[in-house]
Amino acid sequence: MENLNDQFLAEGRELVQSAGDDLVALAARPDDPDRIDAVFRAVHTLKGSTGLFDLRPFGDMLHVAEDLLGALRRKAIVPDAGIIDLLVDCIDQASRWLDAFDAAGSLPADAAQVGRRLQDDIRRLMDPTAPDEPARTEATAVDRSWVDAILDAHPAIPQGDLVAVRYAPREDCFFTGDDPLALVKAIPGLCALSIGARQPWGALDEFDPFRCNLVFDAVSTAPRADVQAALRLVFDQIDLVEIDNSRERHQAASTATREVSARTLRVEVDSIDALGAIADDIVIANNALAHLAAQARGGTAGAVLVQGILANQLTLDRLVGSLHRAVTRIRLMPLSSLFQRFPRLLREIGAKLGKDVALVIDGETIEVDKSLVDGLFEPLLHLLRNAADHGIEPAADRSKAGKPPRGSISLSARRVADQVVIDITDDGKGIDPAQIRQTARARALMPDEALAALSDQETIDLIFTPGFSTAETVTDLSGRGVGMDSVRTAALRLGGRIALSSVPGSGTSVRLALPVSVVLSNVIVVACAGEQYGVPMDAVVETIRIPPDRVVPVRNGRAFVLRDTVVPLLDLSILLGLGLDQAAPGADLRLLVIRRTNGLVAVVVDEFTDRLNLLLRPMSGLLTGTPGLAGTAVLGDGRVLMVLDLPELIA
Amino acid sequence: MTVRLDGTLIRLEGRCHVEDAEPLFVLLLAVPGRPVDWSGAETLHTAVVQVLVAFGAPVLGDNRDDFIRRWIAPTLTRVRADT
Repeated sequence: MENLNDQFLAEGRELVQSAGDDLVALAARPDDPDRIDAVFRAVHTLKGSTGLFDLRPFGDMLHVAEDLLGALRRKAIVPDAGIIDLLVDCIDQASRWLDAFDAAGSLPADAAQVGRRLQDDIRRLMDPTAPDEPARTEATAVDRSWVDAILDAHPAIPQGDLVAVRYAPREDCFFTGDDPLALVKAIPGLCALSIGARQPWGALDEFDPFRCNLVFDAVSTAPRADVQAALRLVFDQIDLVEIDNSRERHQAASTATREVSARTLRVEVDSIDALGAIADDIVIANNALAHLAAQARGGTAGAVLVQGILANQLTLDRLVGSLHRAVTRIRLMPLSSLFQRFPRLLREIGAKLGKDVALVIDGETIEVDKSLVDGLFEPLLHLLRNAADHGIEPAADRSKAGKPPRGSISLSARRVADQVVIDITDDGKGIDPAQIRQTARARALMPDEALAALSDQETIDLIFTPGFSTAETVTDLSGRGVGMDSVRTAALRLGGRIALSSVPGSGTSVRLALPVSVVLSNVIVVACAGEQYGVPMDAVVETIRIPPDRVVPVRNGRAFVLRDTVVPLLDLSILLGLGLDQAAPGADLRLLVIRRTNGLVAVVVDEFTDRLNLLLRPMSGLLTGTPGLAGTAVLGDGRVLMVLDLPELIA
Repeated sequence: MTVRLDGTLIRLEGRCHVEDAEPLFVLLLAVPGRPVDWSGAETLHTAVVQVLVAFGAPVLGDNRDDFIRRWIAPTLTRVRADT
């Protein structure tokens, strides 16, 4: 089980997220029993799995939090904002510890202290008269006589390295949805099992069928780590003993887990089944092809072979398409796994800055490629930090400006065609172009005349220039020498674009537009000045041919009338800097009509050559960010096709 | 109907969930020592098994689940012998 860490981290983060979501809902409606139940279950499950590792302060904190949630469930305590805040603190701490465990494989040195403080807070809250409980001592001298008992009871147990487990389910485990036998059944290499009672059964008419009084003693031939993994959800209820001399093996198992942890993907079984089905079909298609090959060798008539090859090609085409779709779908994961980490981080940022900032998250269910989830964390964190630091004003200034004292930052995602658009919007003071100009002048970013000629929007865009930083005082948070240029680079690296808009006094908005995944793009291939270029079909409204006499000169440009609309005409060869192509006089013009935000534009090309479904790869390396290039694609004959981003090229 | 009285016999059938522990408990409490036929049970929740163990109920027939047959059935026989 090399990926035990990963599983724990992935599950842990999911649980922290769902508990966090439920707590946010509880903050609005503190007495929602379903939400309290949900948080209880999440904390309970997380606590169980912390027992797998040496994370005692973590488990202890969750244990006390679970007690508090239990009291809320029983309605022994009435929930209020203070209690919810305390639970949010616990969940935040859990999230922090998961990050620490991810980075270092252990909890930070102050974990016991931090955990204790939270536990004391909770205890005081549950019973104001209770003194702070002294540190709980390790369980004294664990009774291990059961190991001998089960070995005696099952004489047929094999010799060698074994793992003995005593699983004493919590009394209320049926209420939390556990089915202990199902867990025992899942223990790998089970070679002995005894069922006993924790307490004597007593008078049967007082027996409570919903209180678990069973104790399971089991022996397994499987490695300790595998047994641990099977029981990871109830690890706090387990006593695990290695019989024989397998101590070294245990240590090897726990140290080997770090290196392999980097990249895992949790995949639904259904997706794997779907892939398997496609693989089966491909095998069948391949057999048919082999049959055709045999026929070709045997001298079957050409016409018959052609039929077979065509049919086979169609089948393979369909299968390759579905294979690609299935794999793409597997790589998709919800943005929530990324977004979930920000509320806590923003609270910390706000606390450091002494600002009260609310984060509103929207669209976190949108699914994007895993590479995007991995690559967006730092840029988004940077943008949120910037918004809190430079955007949101101190509470006093906000009140003066007639705004609520609490700043608000919204992080929202939505899907537009095959792109995901992420907006980070704050209701802060906005960006003052005059101040940007002043800074740019002070830094000598460009000659004064050029600077003066910039529009306000162009001035604001200077923020993306490498080395630009507007903060007058370099703060601990935002002024670490990584500016907005690094954010832009990250967005470009992911095949996306970034834009910033700001209204002085009312806020700033940064928009990231990124491809959801590497998808097959429908591309139209055009010829221009002897070269071939691809243009994504989704950019093209229509393709038309017009006789040259429909073109009318407009000032120093050209235009034509398309269904009562005057559409300006641009030459692709000029856009690409290839110089005007001398088209044969009198020949029809071939036009790609493109939609831009401010209307239609027609681009003149020499010829339409093909329509293809291509795997579009974003530009990489030195070409990253070359304006006007959407990416490249490899053609069937091995040539590389440059795919143009016409809207950007025209802009 | 996952738990039902059939003459003097209690029959467990289909998938027996946690909530089936209660009716089974009531039937066994009414007439202790009633035999339980579990050959029709597809799955047994721990809570149901716990009632059988607690009452030392004599079970009839072969359970369909290998795991139950191998590990639980002998336990029940032994529990019954003890009581």
